Amino acid sequence: MVAKDFNLGGKIALVAGDSKYWSKYAGVALAEAGADVAFVARNAKRIEEAAGEVSRCGQKTLTVPTDMTDAAQVQKMVDQVMAEFGRIDILVNANELLLAKPFLETSESEWRRMLDVNLNSVFHCCQAVGKQMIKQEKGRVINLISCLAERGVANFAAYCAAMGGVLQLTRVLDIEWTRHGITVNAIGTGWMSETEKTGAPQEELILKYIPVKRYGNPEEMGSLLVYLASDATDFFTGQFLYVDGAVMSHL
Amino acid sequence: MATGNGTLAGKVAIITGGGTGLGKMTALHMAREGADIVVAARRVGAIEQTAKEVREIGPRALAIPTDVKDSQQVNSMVERTLAEMGGLDILVNNAGIVRGQERKPLWEITDEEWHLGINTNLTGAFHCSRAVIKHFIDQGHGKIINIASGNGMRGQRGDFMYGTAKAGVINFTRILATTFAQENIQVNCIAPGFIDVTQLQPEPATRTMFRNPQFIPVGRFGVPEDIGHLALFLASDASGYITGGLFANDGGGLAGGVSPTGYAPVIAMEED
Repeated sequence: MVAKDFNLGGKIALVAGDSKYWSKYAGVALAEAGADVAFVARNAKRIEEAAGEVSRCGQKTLTVPTDMTDAAQVQKMVDQVMAEFGRIDILVNANELLLAKPFLETSESEWRRMLDVNLNSVFHCCQAVGKQMIKQEKGRVINLISCLAERGVANFAAYCAAMGGVLQLTRVLDIEWTRHGITVNAIGTGWMSETEKTGAPQEELILKYIPVKRYGNPEEMGSLLVYLASDATDFFTGQFLYVDGAVMSHL
Repeated sequence: MATGNGTLAGKVAIITGGGTGLGKMTALHMAREGADIVVAARRVGAIEQTAKEVREIGPRALAIPTDVKDSQQVNSMVERTLAEMGGLDILVNNAGIVRGQERKPLWEITDEEWHLGINTNLTGAFHCSRAVIKHFIDQGHGKIINIASGNGMRGQRGDFMYGTAKAGVINFTRILATTFAQENIQVNCIAPGFIDVTQLQPEPATRTMFRNPQFIPVGRFGVPEDIGHLALFLASDASGYITGGLFANDGGGLAGGVSPTGYAPVIAMEED
């Protein structure tokens, strides 16, 4: 039941991200809407699983194990995707390396690693794929980040800084690339079931705190992703949209 | 005797809703820095008490019973200020109403309740700003400080009139600021967080709101002085290039707000 404008049939998506969950859900959502999907991450096993799900949707898929903190590897990966599919219509950046500890205990190497994986990978992918999208005069870039791009939580300095960096990159690229028919948007997830449900005692407290009184489902992120990837959103760029059950709205 | 540094010496300030709470504290704060104060609010006893306390500090004070919902009352309040104080430099749009605006289902809110909430919290600021602005333009300077709320930036459940009106106050600030930026009129907005004003209220006020400060990053509720200092800064020459600003003074409340405790549990960096 995909409205015509939201149909991604014939489109090529590149899902680039070292995220335990999001790259798979993002890729499956895009595949269900008709896109062929290439997966890129360091963990080859994880993206092969994700590719398997896409194949079950009947879409073409490809996995390219890549360390996205390395610009040369990213360029090689993009060349390989181009050789296979001939174009890239949709780039989804979905990195989520977590680290939570008091700021003063965060080491130099941890800080650098957090920014490398969560922020610099996005820089490399946007550079390599952006060049191609500009040639195509069309493209969609969607950065999957967290509501913590805009709010602070204690013990999350490196993560918040990296996510905030991706958000601001989103807001710059949309202006630089809008004249090339490329839209750049970000999705901020709140408390989602796959990533946050831990059975820990604070779970009840968190539920009480979320206005809709439940965690979000990854599929609910997927539907927004498909919308932003579709031709329905040519005039829609530079936005940061939350899938958060109104956590970001309440006081 | 004024005990401050004379930051506002020779200035005249109107503070609406200045009989109680934050308005009163801001009035006394400005008075200590030398400003003459006009207290404009509905409750005669309360505004006269504030005026008396201002005079005890030193500056002149005028208590003018005013309902900011009524533009005629506002206009004559401003005229009387200019006539009796000989000038006007600062307007603090502080009058607001929270109590008497009972939370109820949306479909039970009457037209009267809606208009009361919007007119007091938003239209009052319009009435007062309109009444002073020509004077500010003619004299080539002026300061308007609007008191909004974090409720104007986020949605608190059931908080229809107050939250909607305060959001309006925030953007009204920006529009005033850009419209009169070249007239040397600075217009800024303060969004106080949870400020404990209960000790300033003339009647018993509910303290239920002030039970649990653990959700406020600084770990305490605000005190009226927190707002007074900021209002003083925005009323003074120190803020001459600052206009259209929104100053949250909330103990960090709006900076967080995605986690019930404000803390993330410690998570080790795990790559695979």
